[in-house]
Amino acid sequence: MTSQTTAGTRHDPTDVLIIGAGASGATAAKVLTESGLRVVALEKGPWRTKETFSGDELASINRYDLWPDPLLNPRTHRTGVDEPATTQLFCPVPQMVGGGTVHWQGWLPRFTEEDFRFHSVVGDVPGASLADWPISYAELEPYYTAVEWAFGVSGQAGANRYESFRSKGYPCPPMPMSRYAEKYHRGAAALGWNTFPTPQAALSQPFDGRPATVLSAFAQQHGDPSGTRSSALNVFVPQAVATGRYDLRPDSVVREITVDARGRATGAVYEDAEGRLHEQRADVVVLACGAVETARLMLLSRSAAHPHGLGNENDLVGRNVTFHEFSSAVATFDDPIYAWAGGGYVSASSFEFYGHDDSRGFAGGGHMATSGVGIPLPINWSLPDRPAWGAEAKRVDREHFNHSMAASMVVHDLPQHDNRVDLDDEVVDDWGLPVARITLTPHENDLAMGRFLIDRSAEILEAAGATSVQKVYPDRVTGNCSHQHGTARMGNDPETSVLDRDCRAHTVENLFVVDGSSFPTGTGANPTLTIMANAWRVAERIAAGRDAATRG
Amino acid sequence: MNDTFFDPHQRATIAAAMARMIPTDDTPGAAEAGTIDFLDGYLSGTDRIYAAPDGNGFEVLTGRRLDAWTQRLEVVRARYVAGVRALDAAAERRGGRFVDLSGEEQDDVLREVERPEGREQEADAARAKVALYGAPVEAALQQTSAEVDLGFVPLLALHTRQGFYADPVYGGNRDHVGWKVIGFPGPASLAEVHQGRYTTIDYFAEDRVHPGTEGLS
Repeated sequence: MTSQTTAGTRHDPTDVLIIGAGASGATAAKVLTESGLRVVALEKGPWRTKETFSGDELASINRYDLWPDPLLNPRTHRTGVDEPATTQLFCPVPQMVGGGTVHWQGWLPRFTEEDFRFHSVVGDVPGASLADWPISYAELEPYYTAVEWAFGVSGQAGANRYESFRSKGYPCPPMPMSRYAEKYHRGAAALGWNTFPTPQAALSQPFDGRPATVLSAFAQQHGDPSGTRSSALNVFVPQAVATGRYDLRPDSVVREITVDARGRATGAVYEDAEGRLHEQRADVVVLACGAVETARLMLLSRSAAHPHGLGNENDLVGRNVTFHEFSSAVATFDDPIYAWAGGGYVSASSFEFYGHDDSRGFAGGGHMATSGVGIPLPINWSLPDRPAWGAEAKRVDREHFNHSMAASMVVHDLPQHDNRVDLDDEVVDDWGLPVARITLTPHENDLAMGRFLIDRSAEILEAAGATSVQKVYPDRVTGNCSHQHGTARMGNDPETSVLDRDCRAHTVENLFVVDGSSFPTGTGANPTLTIMANAWRVAERIAAGRDAATRG
Repeated sequence: MNDTFFDPHQRATIAAAMARMIPTDDTPGAAEAGTIDFLDGYLSGTDRIYAAPDGNGFEVLTGRRLDAWTQRLEVVRARYVAGVRALDAAAERRGGRFVDLSGEEQDDVLREVERPEGREQEADAARAKVALYGAPVEAALQQTSAEVDLGFVPLLALHTRQGFYADPVYGGNRDHVGWKVIGFPGPASLAEVHQGRYTTIDYFAEDRVHPGTEGLS
């Protein structure tokens, strides 16, 4: 795609242009506007308020009220370059102001020190493109604390025996104990394994002028009508707006990042809800669309200076993508568990098998935690062997809906050079732009880790007294976590990375990426706390750079 | 605007099939929940896709959302029209229309129509199975069950389930019978959730405080 002449509106230039207003974009907006900079943000989706959300499982989960509509925003997927790609809703994330933090229940574990030097810890793994991070845990630690305290995260400092150093405890005590969390703690304790209350983006008590979080059943994958959960929509966006320097434009679909003759980013061309074209110029451009859409936008932004896409001089944009995979051992119990209570994800966690251990025969490990089975609400609840219909299906629903729970895990999938996001050569979205095509084969290590963690999860359920346990081993990567990372990895060597240690593109000096694209490895933990902490860090660097330039 | 799509025969046929999907036994089934009203309303047009968040009416779709739902409904309607024909054709070999058969015979017909013939249909069925129930944890977390990809019987199973368990504002789950059957203490109305009054705290552990945090805060 070449730069197009726009007949549309040209807006006055701004200091910083952020593409996206989800977890990372809203964090950057808060930090940049509070430092005095003027920010324009272009968000593809709507700016919804709490008044538009409710306890409607059908709308939220089955009718794409929060997910991208697959007819408007398709993606394609294939397992290898020789296969035809098929249209799939691969790794969907809500496209709206607040992004994935609108539908999440906000499990917010920190990564560990080991995660930042994973390659050094585990060594070379054949087929995997491992790399250490150019930053350390210690460098990010103050920003973890900053996000936890901005959000009012509920958790129990010190309870996770394997957590790395923290400078400050959690602002709120853990969320109330659910029955499924209680089972999980008990089962693991019987095995001698450490567990802890899952740190959560919710308020166990009033905090910073906000009331305690309402424990509705409609939480996971539902917007929050009470406005009491902690999200980018409820916390960072209002803080940025309050500065008077945040010009957030929803329903604005960016077609390309524009550049000048030297290859510096100049701004973006975007289309508004009425189909009119606009051009927004800025001194600094920040990409915050999530790892899939950020890579896609970089590849869509071709110019004379960047003929293969922005920052893609070494054919690395979109490569090394990782998605995690979420799967579970599923149990039934005689006594009721009500694993939909609180939304089914007010949970207990374990890092017992998170760190690397050579004796297990695979590299790395992952976060284990409990939840309801699937979306633990009636329409979408099920058990693995439940038939689709008939008397037996009804019996399973009736006997097990209130008596089932899952012990789940996140696979730390290893980056591979040929696992990538690029542009589909046939399928376009409703705006006529080529869609993201995912090419991905799981690494043997991913599958071995999944089996190991599911086996341990099943043991916890058995030790907790389950009457039946079924294992659902992950046999492929589907992107079912909505976690995505690695498509523009950061590193010190421009030959092997897209971004530098400050998440600035090596070849575009005023272009930054603040979402999970920068992660050299995916780690085994839910990424959004780290995404927000890193966005905060990068935004401070951008602001400091502007200060220096102004003084200069 | 009509609030029905089916003609009387189609409606009776689908209602009978739904009664096999979630049968009535000592507890209510699809018939008592009114799942046929849920489905007929859904297929009638794009004005009943999203309930208003407070349960008072429905959202008016415009622009791209309207286009997408118009397109999706066309596909789904065609599948139902063809599905009713397929049920009757299979029923005729047993000596009647689908609605005239016994419950057991209807189950046989549904299984026959559900059974894939040929590899294409097999692949369709495999996708549908994964999307619906094959791998429940994944399916629920990753909303891939695009309705337009489902074959007739899996689609009917999904819609029966939706009509049994969705909020009554959509026309099914009459008097919350679906929720009562499985013991889900859902909200009295969407308004209760919308206003932040719906809580499930009573279904947490009896001792809700985590050991070691008693003195915190």
